[in-house]
Amino acid sequence: MTGESAFLRGPDRLWPLVLVSVALHAAFIGVAFFVRPPAIVNLEQKPIVAKLVRLGEKRPEQWLPRRDVPPPEAAPRAPDAVPVPVPGPPAPARKTVALPAPKVAQKPAPPRPASATTGGKGSDALSRALAKVRDDDKLASKERWGDPSGLPDGDATDGSEGDRYLGLVTQALQSSYRLPATISEQERLHLQAIVVITIEPDGRVASFRFEKRSGNAAFDQALERAVRESRLPPPPPELRQRYRTVGLGVNFKV
Amino acid sequence: MRKLLVAVALLAPALALAQRQYIDVGSPDFRPLALAVVSFQAGPGAQADAVDVQQTFRDDLALTGIFDLLDPRSFLADASEGTQASSIKFTRWTDVGAEGLVKAAVKREGPLVAGELHLYDVRAGREVLYRVYRETNARLLAHRFADDVLQYYTREQGIFRTRIAAIRKGKGTWDVVLMDVDGKGAETLRRETSIAMLPSWRPDGREVLITSYRSGKPEIWGIKVPEGTPRLVVSLGDLASGGVYSPDGRSIVFTASVDGNSDLYVASAAGGAIRRLTTDPATDTSPTWSPDGRRIAFVSSRSGNPHIYVMNADGSDQRRLTFKGNYNQTPRWSPRGDQIAFTARDERRVFDVFLVSPETGKISRVTQDQGRTNEEPSWAPNGRLLVLVSDRGGRQQLVVANPAGDRQRVVTTDAAGTAAASWGPFSP
Repeated sequence: MTGESAFLRGPDRLWPLVLVSVALHAAFIGVAFFVRPPAIVNLEQKPIVAKLVRLGEKRPEQWLPRRDVPPPEAAPRAPDAVPVPVPGPPAPARKTVALPAPKVAQKPAPPRPASATTGGKGSDALSRALAKVRDDDKLASKERWGDPSGLPDGDATDGSEGDRYLGLVTQALQSSYRLPATISEQERLHLQAIVVITIEPDGRVASFRFEKRSGNAAFDQALERAVRESRLPPPPPELRQRYRTVGLGVNFKV
Repeated sequence: MRKLLVAVALLAPALALAQRQYIDVGSPDFRPLALAVVSFQAGPGAQADAVDVQQTFRDDLALTGIFDLLDPRSFLADASEGTQASSIKFTRWTDVGAEGLVKAAVKREGPLVAGELHLYDVRAGREVLYRVYRETNARLLAHRFADDVLQYYTREQGIFRTRIAAIRKGKGTWDVVLMDVDGKGAETLRRETSIAMLPSWRPDGREVLITSYRSGKPEIWGIKVPEGTPRLVVSLGDLASGGVYSPDGRSIVFTASVDGNSDLYVASAAGGAIRRLTTDPATDTSPTWSPDGRRIAFVSSRSGNPHIYVMNADGSDQRRLTFKGNYNQTPRWSPRGDQIAFTARDERRVFDVFLVSPETGKISRVTQDQGRTNEEPSWAPNGRLLVLVSDRGGRQQLVVANPAGDRQRVVTTDAAGTAAASWGPFSP
C-alpha cells in the first residue's frame, strides 16, 4: 500500500494528478504572459549553419576559386636520411643535383593585353614589367575576397544567413576537428557520429556524450579530442539554460 | 490509456523545452600520422643497400602526405632496444609523439636484397606487422615495405610499385620513359625521333598509348611494355590524338579531325570498329573515361570557350560541367569517380590544376602561385595522389600532389624537362 507507485493505484486517484497538471500549465502560462515578456526564441526554426562571411569585395562568380590558404611555396623536402648504425666507412652523402639555368617556358605565354606605353624597346619592356607587377599587386591585394555585408572577422568568402551563435560554435568545433589522415577514403564515405554537448554560460564544455557512435574507434577518439580541445563562445543569455541542460547536438561528418 | 494521457499532460512542458538543436560539422582537417622510422640495420656488405632502402622508404611515405615522419634526432629510445615488442620501451616513443614505429633490417643474399620489416602500434604497445621480402634491388624492397605500411593504415593497396609514363624531351628526340612514383629509376621505353605526346596506359599495364607524328601527322600508336615495340592503333582524317583506353581495356576513345571538324571517336582496342561520338561543329577533344566506363568527360568549345563537358559513353546526354574560368582543358577522371582533375587558366592568366565534382560541378583548387603553368594532371590508381607537369622550377618537371594541394613535391630534375605524364595501374 505505502510503496506502490501512483500509476499503479486505482483510477479514482488520478484526478488529483490531472488537477495538479492543469494547475501547473495554468501557472506556466500565467508566468509567461504576466510576469515579463519572454525572450523570442523560435524553437521551430531549423538551425542554419552560418559561415561568417568576411567583409570585403565579392569575388566574381565566373572566376575560378582561389584558396584562402595557398599551397606550400616549395615542395616539402624529403626527410633526411638516418645513418645506418654499422661500423665502417661513412654512408655516401646524397648526391646534389645541379639545377640547370631556367629556360623559356615550353608553353607559349597566354596573350597579354596590349600596352599603351610609348618609347623604345627597352622602355616598353620595362613598362610591361611594371604593369605586370601592378596587375599582380592589384590581384594580390584582393586575395581575401569576402562580401560587402560580411564581418571583419569572418573566414569564408561566401555563405548564407543563419544563427550567429551556431555559426560561431561550428567555427570553433571546425578548428579542432582533426582526423588521422590514414583513415581510408572508403571509410570516410560512411563515417558519421552525433555528439551531444552541454555548454556552460561561459562557453566551457560541461559534458559530452555520444548519441550515435561511428563504429570506427579512431574516428570516435578524434571527435572526443576535438570536443575537449574546442573553445566555444558563451551562449546568448536567452539560450544559456537550454544549452546547459538540453545541450546541443553535433553531427560530425567527413 | 488514461495513464498515458496523464503522463503526456505532465511531460508536455518538459518536452517543449527539451527540443534539442543539431548542427553539422564536416570537412575535417586530416592530420598526418606521426611515424618514427628507426635507422635500418645492415648486414655484412649491405650498408649501401640499407641506406638506399631506408631513404626510398621514407621518401615514399613522405610522398603520400598522410604520414609525419619524425626527426630521428628527437628519438629518446635506446638504439639497441631490439625488435621484440617486449624489449621496446614504448613510453619513450609516445614521449616523442610517435603513433607508429618502424624498424627494419637489410642484408645481402647473393644477387638478392633481403629485408625484414617490423611495424608497431606505439599506443597499444605491440607489433602489428611483420614482413620478410627478397627482391632484385633495394628500391623494390623499399617500395614493398612502403606499400605494406600504407596498406596497414589505409586498408588500400599501395601505389609505390606503380610506374609513371612520361615524355622526356631531348635534342630532336622524344623519349617515352617509365619511372617510379618518386621520379627515380627512370627507364626509356622507346626513343622517338618525331613529336610524341599524350601518353596513356592500358589498364593492365602492358601498353602505353602515345600520339606520334612519325608518319607526318598525329596518329595514335601503342608502345608495348616492357618490350618497347610500337604498333599503329588509329590513323584517321587530318589527325587522331589523345587515345585513352576504357577501364575494361576493350575500347579506346580519342579525338580525330575529319574534314576540319574535331570530334570524339571510339574504337576497339585493336583500332577497328571506329564510331563517332560527338558531332558538334565546335572543337570537342581531350576525352577521359569515368572509372565505371559508362561516361566520358571531355573538352568542348561549343559555349565559346573551352569547358569541361560530360556525356554517356555512347555519346548521348551531353551536358556542360564547368561554368567558371574561360579556358578549361585536359580533364582526367579520378579512379574513385568523385572528382575530375583538369587544367584551367585563372584571372591572372596562369594555368593551374583544379578539381570538379562530376555530380555537383563544385570546383576546388590544387595548385596556386606555383609558377606560371601547372597542367596535365593524371591520377594515381588509388585516387589519393596526382602527378602533374609544372614549370615552377623554371622548366617543366613532374610534381606529385595530393588532391587537397597541401602536399606537393617535385619528383623529376631533368635538365631538358619532362612533360605529359600518365600514372600507371596497380602492379599485378
